[in-house]
Amino acid sequence: MRSQQLKLFWIWLVCILATLSTSHAADVDTAEGIAYFEKHIRPLLANRCYKCHSVRTKKHEGGLLLDSRAGWAVGGDNGPAVMPGDVDASLLIQAVRYTDPDLQMPPDKALPQDAVARLEQWVRMRAPDPRGDSTVERARRDDPSDPIAGREHWAFRPLTEQPPAIALPDWPRSTIDTFIVAQLDAAKLQPAPDADRRVLIRRVYVQLIGLPPTPQQVATFLDDGRPDAYERLVDQLLNSPHFGERWGRHWLDLARYADSNGLDENFLFREAWRYRNWVIDAVNADLPFDQFVLEQIAGDLLPHDSIEQRDGQRTAAGFLVVGPKVLLGNDPKERRMDVADEQIDTIGRAILGQTLGCARCHDHKFDPIPTADYYALAGIFTSTEVMERRYMLGQQRVMERLVGLGPDGDETDGAYEKYWRDRPKLQERQKHAQSALDLLKKDNAKALEALAKEHADAIADGAADASQPKEKRIASQKTLLAELNAAVAKPPGIPARAMIPNDADAPADESIRVAGQFDHLGEQVPRGFLRVLSDVTAEIPERQSGRVELGRWLTDVDGGAGQLAARVLANRVWHHLIGRGIVRTVDNFGRTGEAPSHPELLDYLARELIDSGWSIKNLVREIVLSRTFAMSSRHDDAGHSLDPENRLLWRAHRRRLDPETLRDSMLSAGGELDLKPMQSSVWYLGDQATAVGDNKNRRRTDFPNRSVYLPVIRNDLPELFDVFDFADPHTSTGMRPQTMVATQGLFILNDASVMAAAEATARRLLAGEITGEQESKVDRMFEVVLNARATEEDRNELLAFISDFKNRLTSQGDSDADLRAWSMACHALFASSRFQILE
Amino acid sequence: MKCHRFIQTTNRRDMLRASACGFGQLALAALAGQGASAAIARRQIPHLPARAKRVIFLFMWGGPSHVDLFDPKPRLNVESGKPLLGKSVGSDRDQLGEVMGSPFRFAQHGDSGVWMSELFPHLSRHADRMCVLRSVHTEGAAHGEALLRLHTGQANLVRPSVGAWVSYGLGSENESLPAFITISPPRGHGGVQNYGNAFLPAVHQGTAIGSAEIPISQAVVSNLVNARLKPDLQQEQLKLIQSLNRRHLREAAIDQQIEGLIANYELAFRMQSTVPQIMDLNDESQGTLDLYGVGSETTDNFGRQCLLARRFAELGVRYIQVSTNYTWDHHQKVQEGHIAESAKVDRPIAGLLEDLARRGLLEDTLVLWGAEFGRTPMAENGDGRNHHPQAFTMWAAGGGVRGGLTYGSTDDFGYRPVENPVHMHDLHATLLHALGLDHERLTYRHAGRDFRLTNIYGDVVHAILA
Repeated sequence: MRSQQLKLFWIWLVCILATLSTSHAADVDTAEGIAYFEKHIRPLLANRCYKCHSVRTKKHEGGLLLDSRAGWAVGGDNGPAVMPGDVDASLLIQAVRYTDPDLQMPPDKALPQDAVARLEQWVRMRAPDPRGDSTVERARRDDPSDPIAGREHWAFRPLTEQPPAIALPDWPRSTIDTFIVAQLDAAKLQPAPDADRRVLIRRVYVQLIGLPPTPQQVATFLDDGRPDAYERLVDQLLNSPHFGERWGRHWLDLARYADSNGLDENFLFREAWRYRNWVIDAVNADLPFDQFVLEQIAGDLLPHDSIEQRDGQRTAAGFLVVGPKVLLGNDPKERRMDVADEQIDTIGRAILGQTLGCARCHDHKFDPIPTADYYALAGIFTSTEVMERRYMLGQQRVMERLVGLGPDGDETDGAYEKYWRDRPKLQERQKHAQSALDLLKKDNAKALEALAKEHADAIADGAADASQPKEKRIASQKTLLAELNAAVAKPPGIPARAMIPNDADAPADESIRVAGQFDHLGEQVPRGFLRVLSDVTAEIPERQSGRVELGRWLTDVDGGAGQLAARVLANRVWHHLIGRGIVRTVDNFGRTGEAPSHPELLDYLARELIDSGWSIKNLVREIVLSRTFAMSSRHDDAGHSLDPENRLLWRAHRRRLDPETLRDSMLSAGGELDLKPMQSSVWYLGDQATAVGDNKNRRRTDFPNRSVYLPVIRNDLPELFDVFDFADPHTSTGMRPQTMVATQGLFILNDASVMAAAEATARRLLAGEITGEQESKVDRMFEVVLNARATEEDRNELLAFISDFKNRLTSQGDSDADLRAWSMACHALFASSRFQILE
Repeated sequence: MKCHRFIQTTNRRDMLRASACGFGQLALAALAGQGASAAIARRQIPHLPARAKRVIFLFMWGGPSHVDLFDPKPRLNVESGKPLLGKSVGSDRDQLGEVMGSPFRFAQHGDSGVWMSELFPHLSRHADRMCVLRSVHTEGAAHGEALLRLHTGQANLVRPSVGAWVSYGLGSENESLPAFITISPPRGHGGVQNYGNAFLPAVHQGTAIGSAEIPISQAVVSNLVNARLKPDLQQEQLKLIQSLNRRHLREAAIDQQIEGLIANYELAFRMQSTVPQIMDLNDESQGTLDLYGVGSETTDNFGRQCLLARRFAELGVRYIQVSTNYTWDHHQKVQEGHIAESAKVDRPIAGLLEDLARRGLLEDTLVLWGAEFGRTPMAENGDGRNHHPQAFTMWAAGGGVRGGLTYGSTDDFGYRPVENPVHMHDLHATLLHALGLDHERLTYRHAGRDFRLTNIYGDVVHAILA
């Protein structure tokens, strides 16, 4: 009876306490209070207090924990650390004020005044604190990093199939158009009229192959009266080898491709170009995207039927190796985590549109990615090696992992490596052999004997034999010395190699790193995938990293991340072709990204992509054949006032030419562009031992080849790239910045390469097939540079300029005034907005 | 540890409000993580009362030795040649090497008694203007990492440089000049990343004049001069270009990109005449040239750099960095090396302080001197010193700092800070604070998060501010 009563009492007490604590939370933890905590208090505690007062660091000095609400509420040896609402009674405040000599926290250095003030304010606000019990991982509804609740976010939901409403039934040419026009109609907007066929052909050429059409190509298209003329043109462009140069480059932006390491020590990646060309070839071959991803993540581990296939797959896996790494100075354990982080961040952004890197130090603040999921992935990459210690040009250093290509690749690479490893010994031998020869000549038998004892390998057998005549001994020694001299002077050629990862000797699960600190080990988590996307557990074979499984999971439509990956990729293709993504934050499909403007269309495109067997070309084709793609960019008052950013696509977006197209178009107008693919464009920089930043023979840009082949040296981009918003090759970039800065104007107005291209164009005009009047030359110039017809006004203005310029130059004694005047006119067209901005 | 990516302060509603106010392009750009379209950084209102309007950072590439210049350590000389192990606060590692005494004499200068070694005879006359920070510390035992941390706060990720943040926070005071100029920047050790804008709009990128390895007298701003056209002819050509562009704009009715392009050519053309004028020192008096040591072999190059910095400061450039060549890295012969390098910069720096003061510019120009790290109290290679990020000295003058103050201290050997340590993040926070920028509020939304120069760190060192 009594015990029964006692039990009831306890139950009652527990209930009361529970109610109390809930009401406290409800009362205090307003959005504002939580925001204050998150902004000011959590970082402060994490930064200055957790080291000694948290469960994860397995430290609770004075019995106090500050990593949970319960921690400070119960308090340590001296009682509760915080009394909500009572600043002066809170021990935490007393400690941080540093006024009591016996109670001063943090012990190393007082907090700055404003931090103390913020803690006081927080206590005054009755200490809002959303943190749960840190000893138990509880899935909380309001925890943004909860992977199960997070499945409700639009990007993680299964693809839907929603037929669009029917509006303006005569307008659409394709399903895509029905989605677009439905929303336009709902907003009472009209789609823009079709673009002029000249505008359209320029647009489709630039978007598909990165080059404008020649006047002949324009004429052929305009003359083609067949109803499927445009479709034929599109197919021709899709099959052009230049398609891969354009669309491969889009992927190279995401893959943060570069020919050098960047960051602190900018060593050359001599073999990176093979990866670049693999991407271009893969895109040209329309390698299904799922396979494309798998080979880049685990190509070195996949089975193969031939050496060519093996080498292709190995080269693809260079994707993991080509990232920037801090090479000197940091702890190898720290570097391992940094390298894995860089890989996770790149894969997260490029393939999943997620900011996974956020979860390195804490559960993601906005997206359903707990730290445990990050380290589940990290285990895969810390079980992967991308660096190795190699001997290069007489130095030993940690560098990207290389493997020889071809049937005897291992041997040639091994021999090359061995040569550089042994070279110091060889030089030593050479030195002693020389001494031995000198001693022989001087008949210094005693010293020779001593030398022979120490360095027997530096003396030829014939020379060591004292019974032989001196001349003979000298001759033998000379032969040996000559051999050694030759060996030192002639290192073996640099073999064909690829940058590839491999699985570590002992792949293992990774421990959570508390607050991201590499030396602060928390709980170990099994290698695996993101729980927000699937319940699949990674079945990783013994002694493997798990990259193969990850590579498959990323595009697995049923059990993995495939539906999200398809959305992300479809959106990227749309972004490149239309000018803005359906989700404009193309690299961020998380909660802080933008929502799709046309969610059903995005799902439709993603589904098309999957159903076509992940064919990028198929998706490109479908989009460029839509009427949406073919709209004009003309202004419309109604559209502009209702939707100034053109999210609903009431017209085509105008777009700046990217630097590659800018350069290639100028070279092409002058007939100077070499359309052949190129292999390495950094071979002249030698092997790896030189930091590019210090190299006086820096990268060249004077190749007449397409810009995709120019060297991409991190922190030393070709000036044109640098100025015109090329993707920073240190990080994965889905959308290049679009800026307008004075250096661009200066480049176009004054750079020698622009003027040279203008002159080449002028030469062609003057020497070429145009025999007619000045007028027809101006017309031709417009055709060549702008794919446009000159208006009367244009023509007159150009002619007046040319004639005026010619006169002025002639009067200044210029003997080649005609050419120069025409060059300056071509230059002006290159500088004009109609050249630089695609309609 | 480095949280690379977090801190959220601006909410979506603010972003959208900005968009409704007519900065649609800007807001979109920010949302989408890309730069805005503007040729010159818009002038901004600071968060706090500003003590300084601009910064001149004198960067000593390679790492001068604090124990030979500003942080006298008699015990180094007493114990020269003996192992450091077990003696210093920081000596908890196995092999520290042997202590090496400083070959230089130290003395106190000015009314305030700031300590300096004999290597800076000219600078020492400005002791009462200097606030010497003896307890600076950072990470990165190699130049590359340490340079990136000094200039951007981080090394393993690409982040905007200090000057880019200042440009972003304050904007430009001059319509024809960028807000951030770097004179003779290093090409190695991070190179352009050290004055890069990273995800900030490109207009905030530092404009480089020359590079560390070439004399400033041979430096040019890229593409500032047309090699084929005289200015009058180029102006004719520009007229044609702009006429074509305006016709295009008329057809387009409204288009920010075309408008931007038109404005951009105007600015570029203006810069072609203004920048060479600034670079041409011929209008300076002989007295001024002498002050900086221009014309004397040893000091000519750095003197020109400092004088150029003053000219840019006068014209309202917000952040000017002046860099030495990679010449302070004395792993051997620290004595000879430091004598030579100090002689190159001492008079120019003193001249700069004097000149700024005479022109009334020093009161709102923060001059900062320092490097990526200091050098070890221990010997290396017999007579050199190794890299030492654990503790080193930087100093500031002008722009609201307390002159004549020596702040923070190191242990008896200069190995670790013992009093008032100032981390690189603290220094960055303080520098922004002096400019009226709250380092916690100076944020930029990128890839879904708000970033700041100081990441999640940084305490303003109020004690050094006047």
